[in-house]
Amino acid sequence: MTRALMACKCLAILVFLGLITGCWDRKEMDDLALIMASGFDITDDGQIEVTLQIALPTGIPSAVQTGGSGKKSVVVLSAKGSSASEAAGRLQQQLSRILYFGHRGVIVFGEEYARHGLNQVLDAFSRLPESRYNGYVVTSYGSTAKEILNQPYQLELIPSIGINKMQSSKMGFSVKIDQFLDALSSQGRSPVTSAIRILHKDSDKETFSIDRAAVYLGNKLSGFLEPDELKLLRWWIGETQQVKFTIQLEPEEADYKGTLGVELLQSGIKIRTAVKNPIPEVWVSFHALVRAIDNDTKLDLSSSNIMKRVETQLSKQIQTEIESMLVHVQKNLKSDIFGIGEEIHIEHPYAWKKIRSKWTDIYPLVPVTVDVNIDIERTGKTQTPVHIKKTD
Amino acid sequence: MKSKKGVSGPFEKKLKELNYTIESKIGDNLDDNELTIKQLFANCSDLVVRRLHVFGSIPGMAVYLEVLVDNQLWDVGFLEPLMLHEPVSIDSPLKLYEQLKYKLASIVQPRIAMNMNEIVQRIVRGEVVLFVESFTEAFSFGLKDKLHRQLEEPASEAVIRGPRYGFIEKLDINLALIRHRIRTPLLKTEKLYVGGLSQTDVAIVYIERIAPQSIVEEVKKRLSSIDMDSVLESGYIEELISDHPNSPFPVMQSTQRPDLVSGSLVEGKVVLLVDGSPMVLILPITFWFGFQTAEDYYMNFIFATMLRWLRYLFAFFALALPSLYIAVTTFHQEMIPTSLALSLAAAREVVPFPAIVEALIMETTFEALREAGVRLPRPVGQTISIVGALVIGQAAVQAGIISAPQIIIVSITGIASFLIPNPGMSQAISLIRFPLMLFAATFGLYGVVVALIAVLIHLVNLESFGVPYMTPIAPFSFSGLTDSLFRAPWRMLLKRQHHTKQRLE
Repeated sequence: MTRALMACKCLAILVFLGLITGCWDRKEMDDLALIMASGFDITDDGQIEVTLQIALPTGIPSAVQTGGSGKKSVVVLSAKGSSASEAAGRLQQQLSRILYFGHRGVIVFGEEYARHGLNQVLDAFSRLPESRYNGYVVTSYGSTAKEILNQPYQLELIPSIGINKMQSSKMGFSVKIDQFLDALSSQGRSPVTSAIRILHKDSDKETFSIDRAAVYLGNKLSGFLEPDELKLLRWWIGETQQVKFTIQLEPEEADYKGTLGVELLQSGIKIRTAVKNPIPEVWVSFHALVRAIDNDTKLDLSSSNIMKRVETQLSKQIQTEIESMLVHVQKNLKSDIFGIGEEIHIEHPYAWKKIRSKWTDIYPLVPVTVDVNIDIERTGKTQTPVHIKKTD
Repeated sequence: MKSKKGVSGPFEKKLKELNYTIESKIGDNLDDNELTIKQLFANCSDLVVRRLHVFGSIPGMAVYLEVLVDNQLWDVGFLEPLMLHEPVSIDSPLKLYEQLKYKLASIVQPRIAMNMNEIVQRIVRGEVVLFVESFTEAFSFGLKDKLHRQLEEPASEAVIRGPRYGFIEKLDINLALIRHRIRTPLLKTEKLYVGGLSQTDVAIVYIERIAPQSIVEEVKKRLSSIDMDSVLESGYIEELISDHPNSPFPVMQSTQRPDLVSGSLVEGKVVLLVDGSPMVLILPITFWFGFQTAEDYYMNFIFATMLRWLRYLFAFFALALPSLYIAVTTFHQEMIPTSLALSLAAAREVVPFPAIVEALIMETTFEALREAGVRLPRPVGQTISIVGALVIGQAAVQAGIISAPQIIIVSITGIASFLIPNPGMSQAISLIRFPLMLFAATFGLYGVVVALIAVLIHLVNLESFGVPYMTPIAPFSFSGLTDSLFRAPWRMLLKRQHHTKQRLE
């Protein structure tokens, strides 16, 4: 009896102690403004403009309300402020529901804002407990973040879910917030994000495309990689799904374009570094197994001689492509997006200590030697192209 | 002769309390005895006092309660042999007893009664008492009563595969059902009488050398310390001899299935049968026993293992699903996948109540419907299911009072609570669900986890007749897992059965 009484007392004390702390953060689902995406732009007078894409649950079809068509599924709001939190505070004043960042899957940096430097908002990402690290960072290309977030999208109810799915599908290049912050704080690697642009502007077919990468130097955007270069970047960092090359093998003829298309199956990349005072030297060897996916030449890939020739030509052409991309990234953008500095750090930790503070200056001068070796492993269902005339 | 030690205890005490003591001896005059009996049984319309001549010449008097005695047995088994027997001369009660016992084949169980108290005892138990002129001893005959129903399949423990009949309200028949399955003299059935007024027969059944003697002694001790006027169902016993009467968790299994009982006996468990109750108690049990059925052992062991895991999973759902839903939707919205979060938010849009109130309304409604389903007369039962389906499924959602996901949660929880075979366990889990929901609504997942830990601490503290409730998980025993986490194939279980004795002691 006394034991039960004691237990009751303890329980009562525990319950009341829990309640008087005052941090009762119970929030019903319908009291939240679920932010699906946010964007950051800079205004002419140097203020930050924050744009939020907020989901409207009433616009989403459910068992009770069929339809939802015709109703808007998102609302996009913008506000200016001297800092991101100030702007967000202004937005909160327009809303009856609490801004909730727990489901934010996409963060868009406006191109202009990215060129200006990102420091102002990055701290807010890491400090806000609700903000999730597995959201994707994208940089707008040729438009502001506000325009991107105001862009309707046909395939998904909520446009930012469309962006999120495009990023998570592994078909393209994607960078999450934590990866971005990691690269930003690393001395041997520069951050890079995918770049989003609006296609078919001012027509009824308007949509997004994520076919470029935004390359940063420190916290400032230094330029964009073209679609062909993005493919090579993806190969380098090991995202080899859907990496395809089309190579001009033979001169164009009347019926044949003379091109061969291949898709990566497996690849291995080895980086070797050597430290010679004052500038390190880097060798990168690419080895890949590919399969032929379209053959618009008269070549019969079942013959081993032809195969060898094709492989050599493939390797050579891709090597040229990689080298020209390296020139663009290294000499023009001066951004170490491949993490060469990190490689030197791993292989020569003591030498790295000496050069790391000067790395941004040294990096554009580092000679990088590229060696590509490609084997065609599969030729698909047919060996000779079906359209080649039989001669016997 | 059976021991009658139970009779003099609580029964005498109760009679003293009521100022009703029978002191008188048996007189040698039949008229005096008739008067005494009629005084004792005043206003008992079912008392029959019948004068007859024993062995043709000796004047005697048979007394019994009409409603308890089988008419045919009375005629053929008692009256006929006694009255049609050729006359003999009897000079002492002992001689008459011998005549009754050895010469009359069809006479059942004659016993000598020495005083009125004993006689009254036997009459209320349905025996026929024979007084003989000029003897100060009486004889009693156990002409058993007629009142019992047919063996039927227990409605609450139906099986697809397995025997169809279950225990009934009659102790002797229940004992027979067990004896039919375990044919060994090692199967012991000890009888006690419990209850000051009801004088209920309670049988302790166990297999000697397999069941630990310490547990048998402990059960006997606890049974004899019961001080109650009436024991009408085994539920009384369950509560009165439980190690932890304040705990919602059952430390005894009640069942109507003779096969389950026999299996438990072979495993070294002790079984309690209570006259007048078809529910037989098995003890000691562990937490996991509450999730096993007799059928587990009749089907393929792989499938039986899968079923057990399904039960564990749904027992967890029955316990914690509503509280997890409340915690996640009101505190940890970031845990829900984005698209699910959106449809949950959309479903909640029109609902006026917070999630906890919604959950409490629906869970209470569900429990009420369940209770109503049990109480309602059969023909009306259909109505309640239709009304219930309409109330829960259609109206509540369409009226926008309750959100659709909440209905799904409540329905899964409701179904889950029926997957637990032991009704006591199912009730315990349904009961704990409610405080868990309140914890979830005030402290989120943190509260749910704290409450679950509290439940776990309670569970590991429980004991059933000295056996830790959570065996074989705590204390851990690897061989014990073969019949709790899994239903291992028989060749492995048999190996374990040989160790049962050591395990329990």
